[in-house]
Amino acid sequence: MTVLQIREALRAAIDEEMARDDRVFVMGEEVGHYDGAYKVTEGLLAKYGEQRVVDTPIAEAGFAGVGIGAAMAGLRPIVEFMTFNFSAVAFDQILNNAAKLRQLSNGQFTLPIVFRGPNAAAHMLSSTHSQAFESFYCGFPGVKVISVATPYDAKGLLKSAIRDDNPVLFFESEVMYSVKGEVPDEEYLIPIGKADIKRPGEGITVITWGQGVPVALAAAELAARDGLDCEVIDLRTLRPLDDEAVLASVRKTNRAVLVYHGWPYGGTGAEVSDRIQRLAFDHLDAPIERVCYDDVNMPYAENLEQLVIPSPERALEVIRKVAYYRI
Amino acid sequence: MAKIVELPRLSDTMEEGVIASWHVKKGDKVKRGQVIAEIETDKATMEFESFDAGEVLELLVPEGEVMPIGTPIAVLGKAGEDVQAALAARGGEGKAPQGAAPHDGGAHAEASDEAVEGSRSQQGDAPAAAPAEASPGRVPDRIAASPVARRLAREHGVDLTAITGSGPHGRIVKSDVEAAAAGGVTASPTVVAASDEADERGRPFVRRPDEPQKLSQMRKAIARRMGQANAEIPHFYLTAVVDMDAAVGLREQLKAVLPVKVSYNDLVLLAAARALVTHPEVNAYWDGQTIVRRGNVHLGMAVAVDEGLIVPVIRYADQKGLLEIAEQARDLGLRGRDKQLRPEEMSGSTFTVSNLGMFGIDQFAAVINPGEGAILAVGAIADTVVPKGGELVVGKRMKMTLACDHRAMDGASGAKFLATMRDLLEKPLAMLA
Repeated sequence: MTVLQIREALRAAIDEEMARDDRVFVMGEEVGHYDGAYKVTEGLLAKYGEQRVVDTPIAEAGFAGVGIGAAMAGLRPIVEFMTFNFSAVAFDQILNNAAKLRQLSNGQFTLPIVFRGPNAAAHMLSSTHSQAFESFYCGFPGVKVISVATPYDAKGLLKSAIRDDNPVLFFESEVMYSVKGEVPDEEYLIPIGKADIKRPGEGITVITWGQGVPVALAAAELAARDGLDCEVIDLRTLRPLDDEAVLASVRKTNRAVLVYHGWPYGGTGAEVSDRIQRLAFDHLDAPIERVCYDDVNMPYAENLEQLVIPSPERALEVIRKVAYYRI
Repeated sequence: MAKIVELPRLSDTMEEGVIASWHVKKGDKVKRGQVIAEIETDKATMEFESFDAGEVLELLVPEGEVMPIGTPIAVLGKAGEDVQAALAARGGEGKAPQGAAPHDGGAHAEASDEAVEGSRSQQGDAPAAAPAEASPGRVPDRIAASPVARRLAREHGVDLTAITGSGPHGRIVKSDVEAAAAGGVTASPTVVAASDEADERGRPFVRRPDEPQKLSQMRKAIARRMGQANAEIPHFYLTAVVDMDAAVGLREQLKAVLPVKVSYNDLVLLAAARALVTHPEVNAYWDGQTIVRRGNVHLGMAVAVDEGLIVPVIRYADQKGLLEIAEQARDLGLRGRDKQLRPEEMSGSTFTVSNLGMFGIDQFAAVINPGEGAILAVGAIADTVVPKGGELVVGKRMKMTLACDHRAMDGASGAKFLATMRDLLEKPLAMLA
């Protein structure tokens, strides 16, 4: 085992896959000569050269399209968005080309491409740079969506994403690139579509992903002081969803709370909530609750931003409510 | 649409309430902010001001019935609106009114012109306001139960109508069904045990049944909190004897000159407030993880009332003089006995003083109020034979017992605090400086 930061684990995944398969290459703004805006791709240009680590102009629609074309032609591109906020410019490429060409060509083309970068609010970046994109990218078929919260998951899932023959949107977190954790020295893969129990428990199921994971774990610690035993499930893959992991936990606890970075209207939180009430209706002892952003554009002011972003304390209140806990 | 008035949460710890008295009757016109009922909570009887205006179409619960927060208690609206429809639209958690049909001509005839005007236009726009005959009798109540509670009830053959729900709005939840299944709501009738107990002449003794008492909200709160305190807090006790000769002398002098009657308990409260400042480690509690030293000194004083006990709070007692403390203690005590205290006047204490001296108790040990680290139990001032300069003399002595949470403090801290209190009470003039 080696202790790595998430950025180092991601780099190790890219490095190993580039060494393993010379069709794999990296493309994006500042990924080469600047070593990556968040240093995920540091050193790769020196190791693999300009043909496989490609600095692009500030033109997301263009380089996303180039990546899709390269994938159709048999390469395996990793396209870095400096943040997923900028993927909005490339949305048409992802929605109408990446997600659909395999079906439109009756399987003549596969689309082995990974779009990766940080997602959701960081700190005081205001509304246009603090957006959670899972609502959009999980909202249509033809892509897979992953969101990671630990170095172990980051490496194992990015390697699986690079080897997948379908477009994968891979969400990281700007504020979590420095989070450290143990990563095995030997090679491993984590299958796409499998959730992970980050904290076992019997009382309340807390479902989370990405930046929500540390919030949910901290809330579970607070709840433990009240004698409330939370099981924290990190979905890791948002599409396809690991229904069975969620349902098995809810059948045990009879209660579910979702804690995540994202808006309340629709999206992954609403989808999970729907599946629980539909597929485990007779196991629920309380309404399913969600702790997420308020339904507002992210404020720039620090005090207001803190009100919108889920905190362990806010999650605790909701956990108590769902547990019918009385102070 | 008629508005359903629900039983409100009037204190932090309130879970159930009782309508102590209705201030309005069916047919009355209610303004927003008007007191429509007095509600008995776990802490006090409080006036309930209406959030809405309208005519009282129905009072749904009688005075004296215990119900959980959120229970529909009344329906307000325009004269002639359909009470049943409003209740049904709400989801039927409410108790349908008993007896009277939704239309009660007598009451409505007294309604003001304005209300009649309103009802006319209402009926004009809304033919859906059906006549009473269309929906006779009760709307069938839907029982609020969680899905898993319903499934378990099916599996265990438990009758949901026989269970009281403990969840929000009286919802029956899993634990309620499990308790009912374990306790056997469907159990067989009570077996009368044959008794052969008789006196020496063979005459059977009269047998009287045990009677579970109807609990007041206050009694329930006391049972819950004291049970929790006794189960969770490792108590230890320290008793000190205080020479009260000087305090008795001082009080006699103060009585002659002060406008307010100062009691011995006021002197004890003052001394406690001062000693807590000197010993902040006693003004502290164990929160489950760590010791929290309280920034302020808010003194709780236990007051016996008919149904039990309340603990009104003298806030910032360390910053108050004897007169202020005496006045406030007297006011809180009087209003407390009349159940006129607001919840915030009975919460937030950091240390409590309980005094049973007036009942002639020499000394006793009190149970710590959860959220605090210690409580002082004060006994009576008694004439006591004490040695003095080789002689036996009679002096005024008072015993006080400090109960401490051993997680938050140790014997030595409690002892030092008690020693400071004793010094202050033995030289009480210093506290007036």
